[in-house]
Amino acid sequence: MIWSLIILCGVITFLIRFIPLSGIFSSDLPLSVKHTFKYIPLAVLTPIIVNDLSIIENNNFFLIENFKLYAALIAIIVSIIWNNVLATISIGMASFLILSNI
Amino acid sequence: MKKWQIFKQGVLQELPLQLGVFPFGIIYGVMAIESGLTFLQALLMSSIIFGGASQIAFVQLLSNSTPYGVIVTTVGAINSRHLLYSISMLEYLNKLSLSWRVTLAYLLTDEAYAVSIRKFINHSDNSILHYHLLGSGITLFLSWQISTLFGVWLGNDLPEFLDLQFIIPLTFIAIIIPMIKSKSTLITVISSGISALIFKNLDINFWIILSGLTGILAGMASSRWDKKS
Repeated sequence: MIWSLIILCGVITFLIRFIPLSGIFSSDLPLSVKHTFKYIPLAVLTPIIVNDLSIIENNNFFLIENFKLYAALIAIIVSIIWNNVLATISIGMASFLILSNI
Repeated sequence: MKKWQIFKQGVLQELPLQLGVFPFGIIYGVMAIESGLTFLQALLMSSIIFGGASQIAFVQLLSNSTPYGVIVTTVGAINSRHLLYSISMLEYLNKLSLSWRVTLAYLLTDEAYAVSIRKFINHSDNSILHYHLLGSGITLFLSWQISTLFGVWLGNDLPEFLDLQFIIPLTFIAIIIPMIKSKSTLITVISSGISALIFKNLDINFWIILSGLTGILAGMASSRWDKKS
C-alpha cells in the first residue's frame, strides 16, 4: 500500500510539472498571457523565501532576534548593489553565521 | 555557445545550491526511516516523487498515521507551484520533442527552475537553452539521491548543519532581486510575500500557489504603471 501511495504521489507530481508542457496548450499564446509569465518566478519564489525566514512563529511576529531576516535584508542589499549570485549567498550566509554567534 | 557548454553552465550554476540541498536530503532520509518506511521505499521516493518539501511532508504525515488521501492531497498541494514553473517555461520548451519535455518536466524543481529561468529570460533567442535546465536538473537530481542515501544510512540523529539550508532562500533572493525591474514586478514581490505570511498563518494547504496567484494578479493589475519601453 505504501508503494502505491508513493507511486501515486509521484505520478501526480510529474503530471503537475508536465501538463503545461504536454502540448495541450497552444504554443502561440496571446502576448497578454505571455506578459504575465514574467511575474511567475517572482510570485512563487518570494513566498518560499518569506516562509524560510520564519517571520511569523506560533502566530506571533518573530522580528527582534530573527537573524535570518537581518541576513536576508543584507543579502538583498548586496544583490541590488552587485547583482552577483555568489556574493549574495556568501555575504548573506556569513552575516547569518556572525549574527547568530554574537 | 555549444550544447555541452550550456549544460556545464547549468551544472556549475546549480552546484552552490547543493550546500543547502544536501543537508535537506539527509534530513529527509533520516525522517523517512523514522516514519517507518523501508530503506528501499525511503530511497526510491526521492526519484519517484523528486520533490523535497513534499517528501518531508509525506513522511511527517505518515508517521502521524494520517489518512492516505490527506497525504496525496498535501503532496499535490505542495508541488502545485511547479505548475506555474512549467507554464512559464512553455515558451522556451514547447518546440522540443516529447522525450525532452518529459525529461525536463520531471527535473523541474524549485532549485533547477530558479537557476535556469534566469538564463532563459536573459537569452531567450537561444534554441539550445534546454541543455541548461538539463544540467541544473541532473545536478540537483544526483545531489538529492546521494543525500537521501546518506540520510537513510545515518537513520538516527538529525545532523547539526541544519542552518545550511538558509542558502536556499539566499539563492532565491539573488535570483529574484535582479528581476525586479519595474513597479509591477516590485508589487508582485511585495504582494506575494505578504500573502504568503497571511495564507501560511491561516494554515491553508495551497498557500504557496495562492500567494503566487495573488502576486501575479497584483503584478498584472499594476502593469499599467510601468514605463512603456
